[in-house]
Amino acid sequence: MMKLAASTRISATSFLGAVLLLAGMVFSLAQAEEVLVIGHAEITEAYDPAHAFNPTSGMINRVAYDTLVTFPDADASSIEPLLAASWSISDDGLVYTFHLRDDVFFHNGAPLTAEDVVFSFNRLKYMRAQPSFLADPIASLEAVDERTVAITLVDARPSFLAELCNTAFSVVHAETVRANGGTDAEDAGETDTAMRFLNQTSVGTGPYILESWSPQDRTTLVRNPDYWGEQPYFDRVIIVNIPEAATQRVALVAGNIDLATDLTPDQVVALEGNDDIEIFLGPGRWTHFLLLNRDPEIGGPVSNPLVGQAVRYALDYEGYRELWAGSVTPGSNMWVGLAGAFGQDQAVERDLDRARAYMAEAGYPDGFEITLHYPDLTWAGVGLSTNAQKLQADLAEIGITARLLPGEVQVALEGYRSGVQGFGYWFWGPDKLDPIDFLEFLPGGKVAGERARWTEDMVDDEIMALIARAGVETDPDARLEIFAQLQAYAQQDSAFVPFNVPAVQTAYSATLEGYLWHPQWGLDMALLSRTN
Amino acid sequence: MPLYQYLLRRVIFAIPLVLGITVVAFLIANAIPADPINANLPQSALNNEQLVAAFREKWGLDQPLHVQYLTYLGNLLQGDMGVSIRTNQPVLDDIRQFLPATIELATTAIVVGLLLGVSFGVVSAVWRNSPLDYLVRVFALIGVSFPVFLLALIGLSVLHAQLGWVAGPGRLDFLVQRPPHVTGLYTLDSLLAGQWGTFRNAAYHLVLPSLVLGLYVSGIIARITRSSLLEVLNSDFVRTARAKGQREFFVIMRHGLSNALIPVVTLLGVLYGNLLAGAVLTEAIFAWPGIGRYAYRASTSQDFPAIMGVSMLIALIYVIANFIVDLMYFFIDPRIRYA
Repeated sequence: MMKLAASTRISATSFLGAVLLLAGMVFSLAQAEEVLVIGHAEITEAYDPAHAFNPTSGMINRVAYDTLVTFPDADASSIEPLLAASWSISDDGLVYTFHLRDDVFFHNGAPLTAEDVVFSFNRLKYMRAQPSFLADPIASLEAVDERTVAITLVDARPSFLAELCNTAFSVVHAETVRANGGTDAEDAGETDTAMRFLNQTSVGTGPYILESWSPQDRTTLVRNPDYWGEQPYFDRVIIVNIPEAATQRVALVAGNIDLATDLTPDQVVALEGNDDIEIFLGPGRWTHFLLLNRDPEIGGPVSNPLVGQAVRYALDYEGYRELWAGSVTPGSNMWVGLAGAFGQDQAVERDLDRARAYMAEAGYPDGFEITLHYPDLTWAGVGLSTNAQKLQADLAEIGITARLLPGEVQVALEGYRSGVQGFGYWFWGPDKLDPIDFLEFLPGGKVAGERARWTEDMVDDEIMALIARAGVETDPDARLEIFAQLQAYAQQDSAFVPFNVPAVQTAYSATLEGYLWHPQWGLDMALLSRTN
Repeated sequence: MPLYQYLLRRVIFAIPLVLGITVVAFLIANAIPADPINANLPQSALNNEQLVAAFREKWGLDQPLHVQYLTYLGNLLQGDMGVSIRTNQPVLDDIRQFLPATIELATTAIVVGLLLGVSFGVVSAVWRNSPLDYLVRVFALIGVSFPVFLLALIGLSVLHAQLGWVAGPGRLDFLVQRPPHVTGLYTLDSLLAGQWGTFRNAAYHLVLPSLVLGLYVSGIIARITRSSLLEVLNSDFVRTARAKGQREFFVIMRHGLSNALIPVVTLLGVLYGNLLAGAVLTEAIFAWPGIGRYAYRASTSQDFPAIMGVSMLIALIYVIANFIVDLMYFFIDPRIRYA
């Protein structure tokens, strides 16, 4: 009996020990989960790739889905394969044939097929939602076989591959999306009801799976254990919505978050000298510029190209760089991060004597008065009113008295987009990371034509021919040359005066490694890891 | 007047009020000389006329204003507040999602404000013109005039980041899971689910924001309580009570405060409505996903259905809050009961 009791005791002790050990293992496993917490000013209304078109959804969908092709990790200098292992372009530039990888599986385990690509792109096109315009160039799609997709374009479009890198072209699992109300039919805009489903989960092929989204609160991603590429470091990523830059800073310092994506210059200054925090400053997406309306009845004196030149040489470009730490002076309205864009070394420099000479030549030796319209807001940490005051002071140096007229954003935007502002201060971020985006700022382009009334009949045939070639030239070297000529031309005769590209300002815990900022998706969480 | 008649009268009065609010909100939202297309489609998408036309058609922007309004009103009468242009979700769903966070914060803040404000007001009135009175009055002045967003930021920087006394931004620690959704009030939902840890965390996160908002409220309440109590304490019935030899504490609490609270109760309805409707900045600073942020974003993107929905909601909150205040009068003040 005693023996039995002893053995029972031993068994009980062993059992208890085993339970404790197991509990310990479970506990340590739970402890071992690597979690990344990101503080971010959320501005998305959807994660469904066919509806979402903003920085937040770009960041999430970058890791939840894959596109056919992509950019390098930190820039848009070239096109690299992703879901497509290879591709070919027909001689006339109209048909793009993509050969898909054969080792890619969706989050639900289904293999990637050409049919999924056709469904995803047609759904985007026919949804007629925010990002649908990106699919405008597509005339038709065909699944040639299980792993081959042929895309026929309406016109030859050298920027098409760059446009395909946008997360709007994320590939979703057709069958699952259909089962949840999705369709790629022409009436998808009215009949597709899959958005609610795709806002809460992802059926993509990316390194992370969207686990949940509580709008304006937090988004949670978990690692895709079966990802076809390199496994990301973090098991779980929580993106918390912190709209205020000041709160993001406090949360970072207090250790509530690992990374703050939306700081402002004053918040960055407050973090300097903190050894636990790394600061990233790099040229952002937004080019700030002046618009000089070419319609004399609207623009008055600034419609004169000579006055445009005077304004170009009057601005204190260095002063704006000092005002906004990490910012650069652009050489044109082509975004400075693009291959071939005129950067700071090719930008116009201030020359007040030259500016005054242009004013005299234009018939305004004593200057003039004009109203400067701009939206009254702070965008990505840059107060437009601060810049407007500096513009006013710069222009006063050559006799231009600018009356500042800040407007409520939507009201000012209406005036800008309808082309009734004679002299305006605005900013632009490229919708497509390709030089072709710059054509918007040349005659024939939307911004130039409708907003600055700078139209085709106002420029030489030679320039118009060059602009036409820029839209279709596919040879990379020839493209670079054409865009260089167009930028040089714009520095002489443009209706726009670009003057500053403010910096992206992020900060993160010094224990993080692998941080890179990308102009298309902002942050790729799959590249981040933590050192001990 | 019997209670049911009184209630019925209040409800009938509320109907034209709410209807009037829909007209005003609709007119104001449409008076902005700007096109919702600009706020809701990317720049390049504006090139696509088909896309722009589809957008206008989908949201009824191609219809004359009065048709838009009547359609809205017709849907509203059937309980349909429309679909938000921005979120693509029914406005009612959006409101259900964002309102609980604001209600939780505003309710805690009003309780904090009421407790602090009435206490300070009584102390100030009882020890009138003493150093304590001056201290309370200075405090009340600061509470009313100090910018709430600045107080919030200072609180976060000092009390949270430096001293670690209070929780940081958000409704929960970022690593804590939300409780299962029942009411949307995290404190209540976590209790219902028996998640004590989550409850403690949610309550901890309420401390700083409700203190910050509560201080503002308490400043106003303290001033009103003080002046009202001073007036009551000088009245004949209080003198009579004292003459009857009642203890001073009893005189102040029973005869003084209960009568002095009537204007405070009146104020509470307005203050609670203010807290619910006007916490945009506080919500932004505390990363509090409430209705204030939703309203702000609706207005900047000219999301008419959402603007209308939030306007109606705020109006209804005022109506209900004042309705409750009226009901409280009914019980507090016999003159109303017997009028």
